[in-house]
Amino acid sequence: MSRPSPSLSLLFAASAALLGHKAAQADETSAAHSVGYRFNVYDEDALSAQVEEGDPRRYHVDTQQFLFDTALGNRNTLNVSAVHEVMSGSSPWYLVPGPDNKPLEVLSGATIRDHRSAMTATLTHDAGGNDTRSVSATYSAERDYHATALGVERSLPLNSALTLAFGGSFSHDLLRPTDALLYHRIERAQKNTASMFGSLSWVLSKNAVLESGLQFNYQTGYLSDPYKLVVVDSSLDADTRPDRRSEAAWLVRYRYALNADASVHADARVAANSWGQHSLTLELAWYQGLRDGWQLIPGLRYYTQDSARFYAPFFDDANERYFSSDYRLGGFGALAANLNVRKRFGRWELNAGAERYHATTDLALGGADLNPGTVSYTRIYAGLDFHFD
Amino acid sequence: MAWSRRRHMRRNLLLLIALTLLAGCATSPVPPWERGRLARWDMRWDPDPLKAAMAEHAHFSKEGTAGTIGAAGGGCGCN
Repeated sequence: MSRPSPSLSLLFAASAALLGHKAAQADETSAAHSVGYRFNVYDEDALSAQVEEGDPRRYHVDTQQFLFDTALGNRNTLNVSAVHEVMSGSSPWYLVPGPDNKPLEVLSGATIRDHRSAMTATLTHDAGGNDTRSVSATYSAERDYHATALGVERSLPLNSALTLAFGGSFSHDLLRPTDALLYHRIERAQKNTASMFGSLSWVLSKNAVLESGLQFNYQTGYLSDPYKLVVVDSSLDADTRPDRRSEAAWLVRYRYALNADASVHADARVAANSWGQHSLTLELAWYQGLRDGWQLIPGLRYYTQDSARFYAPFFDDANERYFSSDYRLGGFGALAANLNVRKRFGRWELNAGAERYHATTDLALGGADLNPGTVSYTRIYAGLDFHFD
Repeated sequence: MAWSRRRHMRRNLLLLIALTLLAGCATSPVPPWERGRLARWDMRWDPDPLKAAMAEHAHFSKEGTAGTIGAAGGGCGCN
């Protein structure tokens, strides 16, 4: 079967776009089936804080991603994605007070070696009029962590300009930390996460679309990190966090077509959780089409968060109920720059890119207290996509 | 007191939703034959799902409150 010309596909897409923005997105890259592959290399920088003890080799992750997308009849599509990661390196363990009470980092002694495999399958049904319903299932397995998640979504055009989307998901995670007896860790624990979301997308003009959405997450169970310790009143104790966390986030996304070859993406996200953390994320990307099927996509991302109520590098008062020195609960800001280059060869598309992520307390909005464990990294990736009918 | 506050919050929420819907109606409708640009691959919310998934996974493992809109997948031992 011959493939419709890009201009004809665009005409079909425009004809189908009587209802909402989602309907308009049956674009020129649409094909009945597609497969994709990516290889990612993630490499963390050496810690900025002085390392007192442990293996100085930081985390390195090699990740392979697979994607298969296929039409099942006229109204259903099946999307299957799989991930396999191999992780190695050492991880921040705890902080000790050094000279002048300056925190010194203690890293895990032995190099961690682990791998993770995960698969997600999503079945989407078009009930007509671009009213789509999706169900998804995810399973993720590591030596010490297993997660099972189920999700449902619905996208419903309200009129020619507005599309409502809503859904929810539930994840059940099981933890079985390694060397539990040796390091007095919890032997087995579980946590559950329930999520709900709703969003509205608008067709603002023939060049612009906007989406605004709310997301709520509620977690219960063992939410501490079983591998992290904390210095409390000069002795080592286990990382101890509340067994509940609720989070709300507001996300706004904007897409603007500058001309026939270029568009701008602007995303913003504001979030707050019941542990006292607030965050802001701003992302900007420029999609520039070039001659001969080349595409250049530079992007910037800024993230800032403040610290949880029970975060400190170390604690003096043993009567506190919760304590953690995990840098992810401390205040910091992060700036990331990324570049993606793509080239189409008929039904094939070559894809390569890199991201540089730099995190520090200096970048936190309004400043942040001492957080010596912030992590900066470099990530590079390459891959190939194939679309066929 | 709590009931009154809840009623006040519900009224504000409904007002926000109504204003949002009105904002959508306030824009003049874009006819289908003018939606060619909106149909482009680069105008999708997530044009490259594999790229978005990997970036989100890296950020989620490093940040306390990262995430996106949509049904969440399973967690991992990274956070």
